[in-house]
Amino acid sequence: MIELSDITKTYGEGQEAYTALKGISFTIREGEFVSIMGPSGSGKSTLMHIIGCLDTPSSGTYVLEDRDVSTMTDDELAEVRKDKIGFVFQAFNLLPRTTVLRNVMLPLVYANVPEEERERRARAALVSAGLSEDHFSHLSNQLSGGQIQRVAIARALVNDPALILADEPTGNLDSKTSLVVLGTLQKLNRAHGRTIVLITHEPDIAEHADRLIRLRDGRVVADEKNPTPRDATQETKLYDGTDESVTNKLS
Amino acid sequence: MTTNDLVDETYAALSANKVRSGLTILGIVIGIASVIALTAIGQGAQNTISNSINSLGSNLLEVMPGAARTFGFGASGGRGSAKSLTPSDEIAIAGVSNVSLVSGEYAARYQIAVAGANTNTTVDGVNGSYATIRNITMAQGSFLNDVESQSLQKVAVIGSTVATDLWGPNATSTNLVGDKIRINNLLFTVIGLMSTKGGSGFGSQDNEVFIPLGTALQYFAGEGNQYLSTIDIQAASQQSMTQVQNDVTALLLSRHGISDPTKADFSILNQQDLVSAASSVTSTFTTLLAAVAGISLIVGGIGIMNMMLTNVTERMREIGLRKAIGATRADINTQFLAEAVALTFIGGTIGVALGWGASYLVTATGVVTAQVTSQSVLLAFGVSAAIGIVFGWYPARRAAALNPIDALRYE
Ligand SMILES: Nc1ncnc2c1ncn2[C@@H]1O[C@H](COP(=O)(O)OP(=O)(O)O)[C@@H](O)[C@H]1O
Ligand SMILES: [Mg+2]
Repeated sequence: MIELSDITKTYGEGQEAYTALKGISFTIREGEFVSIMGPSGSGKSTLMHIIGCLDTPSSGTYVLEDRDVSTMTDDELAEVRKDKIGFVFQAFNLLPRTTVLRNVMLPLVYANVPEEERERRARAALVSAGLSEDHFSHLSNQLSGGQIQRVAIARALVNDPALILADEPTGNLDSKTSLVVLGTLQKLNRAHGRTIVLITHEPDIAEHADRLIRLRDGRVVADEKNPTPRDATQETKLYDGTDESVTNKLS
Repeated sequence: MTTNDLVDETYAALSANKVRSGLTILGIVIGIASVIALTAIGQGAQNTISNSINSLGSNLLEVMPGAARTFGFGASGGRGSAKSLTPSDEIAIAGVSNVSLVSGEYAARYQIAVAGANTNTTVDGVNGSYATIRNITMAQGSFLNDVESQSLQKVAVIGSTVATDLWGPNATSTNLVGDKIRINNLLFTVIGLMSTKGGSGFGSQDNEVFIPLGTALQYFAGEGNQYLSTIDIQAASQQSMTQVQNDVTALLLSRHGISDPTKADFSILNQQDLVSAASSVTSTFTTLLAAVAGISLIVGGIGIMNMMLTNVTERMREIGLRKAIGATRADINTQFLAEAVALTFIGGTIGVALGWGASYLVTATGVVTAQVTSQSVLLAFGVSAAIGIVFGWYPARRAAALNPIDALRYE
């Protein structure tokens, strides 16, 4: 579904030029849960921007669902993002002073989905992301960090995208809440067959995925199956002082 | 994105920072309100002036003795000071084609007295046709007629100011017909009181006394001094005024034996010229007012631009997020443009209401009857929407052109 061949990305020109990606090639099939890992500055976000069609590579080709997106214009890329990709960012995922429902419906607004259908789909996505109904009409600034990330996951889901891209989605969360968010992603992958690319610099977060791609200095240094992915739901249960309400929502 | 979504988004964005939106709107309100109020005042002044010129009479030409004078400027010999127009000139003018009415005037200031009061004012000897030529209407009694003039009767028609000067403030509500007044010590009988015309400008007749022209020439002008101070002519139609003016000029030149028109011993004032001169002055005045108001509107527009640019910077991450989840350039552009247009449209609506109110206040002071025209309201709306588009265009374009990655990264 995703085919990257010899992707490079160079920022700046001449003396100032900095090559953040130095020839990246790999393939991700539908239904995979892949983690892209690497230390800070290794080019993870740069790669994610290219996979997410937020940016185009300096050279190389990127084929997403049989379409070459590496040479598309801004507006063509916007169309691809709208239809194919759902994003979960580390921070600033939601519009401030806007309700949870409205936030989740936003991609549908840009996709010209009829108004009657938007709310139904947004509610369904929020349920899949494990947010309880009481929070649907809360304003985004009334939510906790974990809830915000789950709303963001719901928004990433609502358009029924081919791919969910999460860039350090647990970067701002404590470890217990991180597990809840990881559990949500795992459930979406296992139970609903969603293709998920998780970007992180933390090995214990990355180990929840079925496949690990390691980056260093803009190159892939390892690409291997994870024979024993960690199970976030189990870990949450084992967590000291288990929060019943959290586990209930996940099961 | 439907129109409904756009309205929702715009409302949410503008209400997020109410004080800032309010102040920005205020700039437009002031601009639009001043455009409406000042053009209303200009339009009102224009109407007042042209009404007062029209109240002089219709299709009016005035022949005056003395050399031609420039309208509004130049030295003037004063009405009636030169002696060149005679009663026989008046009779000759009546024969010119398209002249419907003619009245000579002999005017001078005299002391008017009744028992216990007196006043000094213009006494004007005229023919019966003068009432029609100069649009005079009567509050009491009737105007003069030509029989009274021929038989040199000592009768008088008075203006309302004269009446109140002589008999006190409530005089016009009592019957004055038949009362006696002394003009320069001669006893006259009041046969009519004219309706108040109001205004103080162009030839108000409220402070005048009219007597028969024959009587005036007989008793006041004196032997060997039978000259007129003005001849009023009513042309048959507005189209014939120029022809009448030319024919009367030619007639009088030949009657006075003058071959060089620049040496004419009389001048003709054409009401039409007066109207167009006055309206060109007032429309310049209106344009000037509108220009001043327009400047404040531009300042308001700059306020919009300033706010929108601040908005784009502040909402950089929001723009990045919207782009990441599928907003196109056009979506972002439309959204920011809609915000700017909404600001100016709200400002325009309040401004029109405020300008309207201000016009009412000005009218209430009585200085001028301000007139809000539907064109100026439509124009104000059009201009405010245009300002929204013009001043919102650049910030909206900046927002739309943002790279989603840079926008998301922005701290
Ligand atoms: N817009 C940019 N201009 C110049 N250099 C950039 C830009 N974005 C990223 N870089 C550089 O590219 C390298 C990789 O950055 P990034 O992809 O953000 O790494 P990571 O997400 O793994 O921390 C870094 O050295 C960074 O400084
Ligand atoms: Mg990064």
